[in-house]
Amino acid sequence: MMLHNHISIFISAITISLSLLWSPDINARQISPKTKNRPTTKAIADTTATFRGFEVTFDLLGAAQMWLSDYGQYETALRVDIKDKYFPIVELGYGKADAKDESTNLHYKTNAPYIRIGLDFNLLKNKHDIYRLYGGFRYAFTSYKFDVTSPGVTDPVWGGIAPYSAKDIQVHYQWIEAVAGVDVKISGPIHLGWSIRCRRRLFHNDGGIGNTWYVPGFGKQGGSRLGGTFNLIFQF
Amino acid sequence: METKKIKKRSGRERTFRIVTIVTLLAGVLLTGCSSLDCPYENRVYTKYQLKGDVKMLLDTLTVTTNRISDGSDTILLNQAVKIDSFELPMSYANAQDVFHFHIKRTDKQTFTDTVIVNKKDQTHFESVDCNPAYFHTLTGISYTTHAIDSIVIHNTQVNYDASQPHFYIYFRYHD
Repeated sequence: MMLHNHISIFISAITISLSLLWSPDINARQISPKTKNRPTTKAIADTTATFRGFEVTFDLLGAAQMWLSDYGQYETALRVDIKDKYFPIVELGYGKADAKDESTNLHYKTNAPYIRIGLDFNLLKNKHDIYRLYGGFRYAFTSYKFDVTSPGVTDPVWGGIAPYSAKDIQVHYQWIEAVAGVDVKISGPIHLGWSIRCRRRLFHNDGGIGNTWYVPGFGKQGGSRLGGTFNLIFQF
Repeated sequence: METKKIKKRSGRERTFRIVTIVTLLAGVLLTGCSSLDCPYENRVYTKYQLKGDVKMLLDTLTVTTNRISDGSDTILLNQAVKIDSFELPMSYANAQDVFHFHIKRTDKQTFTDTVIVNKKDQTHFESVDCNPAYFHTLTGISYTTHAIDSIVIHNTQVNYDASQPHFYIYFRYHD
């Protein structure tokens, strides 16, 4: 069941990505005479205003994951544009997992908000381009409770059904992320972009019964340290 | 003419195309991969280490217990000879486990000792993909002393790690 969900996300990611990569609109922009004939700029003093605007971002990958899988997150972010170079960002999300494995009969349930704060840097030489290549970092925190329930486990030696459940296990997590991403202007204020993240756990409390399976905002524990977002961005 | 046009193509455009493809592949890998992270060592056993005058048991040792469900006995250790340690499982959720140690000496004499282990059980969770487990904290032990001299608790935590003995068991010495 879970494998099928992953395959669905995999196919969705390919479809969305290919649409982005080879959309006629983007290709038209890439080879448009306007772009092609853009005059070369000389090194002059940067007179760009300090506050250039802000962006509101929605993570479509996390939402798709939530829709197609046993876990996922709804995430939005507010990013401020300072001189087209620096982008302080606050990411707020709501992670949720409601997973049941048919072979182990274990049911894991949690839902909680999380927050990330950080800074992105525009890595392109031309900071004012409609394309952006970002590098940055985040500090993230979440505190949540989770339940693990089961109809019981058969003791193979002594026989009988042993109860197996743990409810309202209190957990907290703090971690940092290194971020790399791209933004592409689609039309007007609408941008699309990817980000990939490498996570490192700083402090955590697993609640005393072993591990916590899904951490809101962090993902599945024990899996890959890498994560990602596919962002729909509105620039103002 | 055509070659020149290709060469003149914006480097930025190529860079973006490469970055987008790399990012795409990374995203696909991230969403497409799934792995199980269940521990390789997933047995929860207690280890008994022989100590004292009998560090190597030349007699034959069989350990049995009675099932809670139907009262029938089941063999946990079958006719072990020349052992310096052995491992026994623990029940998932019983407050105490009762073991019967059947010792058949080399001179054909047989003895049966009863060992009662008291414990607290803890639910242990790794992942929804991994089989549920129970860890235990040893709280006490009592035993008869026909062939066993004494047993002491050395390590109270029973989990996936059975490298450290949980009990030191002293058998009575005989010629």
